[in-house]
Amino acid sequence: MSILAIHPGAYYHIESFESPRYAGFFDRLVRPEALDSVRLEEHAVVLIPCRTPADRMAPHAARLRAYLDAGGTIVATGESQSQLFLPGIDFTPQPTNFWWWLTPGADLGVRIAAPGHSLFTRLSQRDISWHLHGWFTPPPGAEILAVNEAGQAILYIDAVTTAGRMVVTSLDPIFHHGSHFMPATTRFLDGFLPWIRDELDSKDNK
Amino acid sequence: MSVLLIHSHFGEVAPVYAAADLAGQLTIVRERDLRADDLAKASGLITTTHLDQIGLLDHADALQDMLNSGGRWFFNGHMMRRFVPGLDLYVPLKAPRRADYALTRLYEHPLFAGIEQRQLEENKGVAGFYGRGHNPLPAGGQPVNGIGPAMLPVDWVWARPQGGAIFSHAGNDLSGMIGDHGQGALLGRRIIDWCRGELAA
Repeated sequence: MSILAIHPGAYYHIESFESPRYAGFFDRLVRPEALDSVRLEEHAVVLIPCRTPADRMAPHAARLRAYLDAGGTIVATGESQSQLFLPGIDFTPQPTNFWWWLTPGADLGVRIAAPGHSLFTRLSQRDISWHLHGWFTPPPGAEILAVNEAGQAILYIDAVTTAGRMVVTSLDPIFHHGSHFMPATTRFLDGFLPWIRDELDSKDNK
Repeated sequence: MSVLLIHSHFGEVAPVYAAADLAGQLTIVRERDLRADDLAKASGLITTTHLDQIGLLDHADALQDMLNSGGRWFFNGHMMRRFVPGLDLYVPLKAPRRADYALTRLYEHPLFAGIEQRQLEENKGVAGFYGRGHNPLPAGGQPVNGIGPAMLPVDWVWARPQGGAIFSHAGNDLSGMIGDHGQGALLGRRIIDWCRGELAA
């Protein structure tokens, strides 16, 4: 199978998708406007990266839903307003505390909620802690992997809304890694992308 | 004079740009609706860090025509495509430390008149927001602000021999610098004025 990544074309997408560090994790890149030319069912995973403009994805909402209903997997990272083009997402933005780490001994409050999950053989709590943009109210039956300081979901897997699977997060690692900005986001992708390849890029894993 | 802002991200544009739009000094086009004809009608262009660089490359001919006709382009961000001959790709700082973020004014460009370098260099005492690398200076370009001990050209302006000018800021949008000493509104206003030809190249 393979991983298809949506490529909206901002510098941080180009850096993350095309530079050698991670390029091998994306078997095909497709522009949002070219989605109609792609047979989504040929790909085990569709990745929609951070800060994908929602109005470039919204025209494809029905096809994304059909792909999910046919058993596909979509990974959607933060600041893309995914609730506007993916089903079953209930998102609440929160003020971003960019400065928490300036206070000695401070704790952003992010916690791993499912320590036994396979993702956390590759990621530690510090690898998912940089800042927060909001939280989700996942549907009953979804698997919550990480939460904010108030115990609200910031990373979860929804295998109940459709016959497929959505990995949804409000974390925005592709934006910051691609900006050469926050080391934690690079550590996150160092674990997250191999996890996608090993654990999601196979229909057998559904 | 018609200045075009390509609105790339999903959400509101910076307030300074919204105000200029209302005042008839700026035309804002949603990126997905951009057509070559929009560039043909413009004499100035502002692009943001969220620019779809692959999409703009499809309009490279129209962009060069605008410049060749004397137009001005203000580019914010990391250049990851060669839109115009003479431009090259962004070079990040390697494993930067605090000293590597020091900013040095290399040329008194009117865009930065009266703005202290310190105001650009730090936000809440933290450096590294202004820029973390540089877009290579084209031959004949003028460095404006240098970053780090090597004073790499994080900002430069290039009066092209073929006509027109490009201003490159290799960092977050200058209009978004609204921290403790934020000058985003002033810089945004001056970016529009520069694109309108009302500030010296």
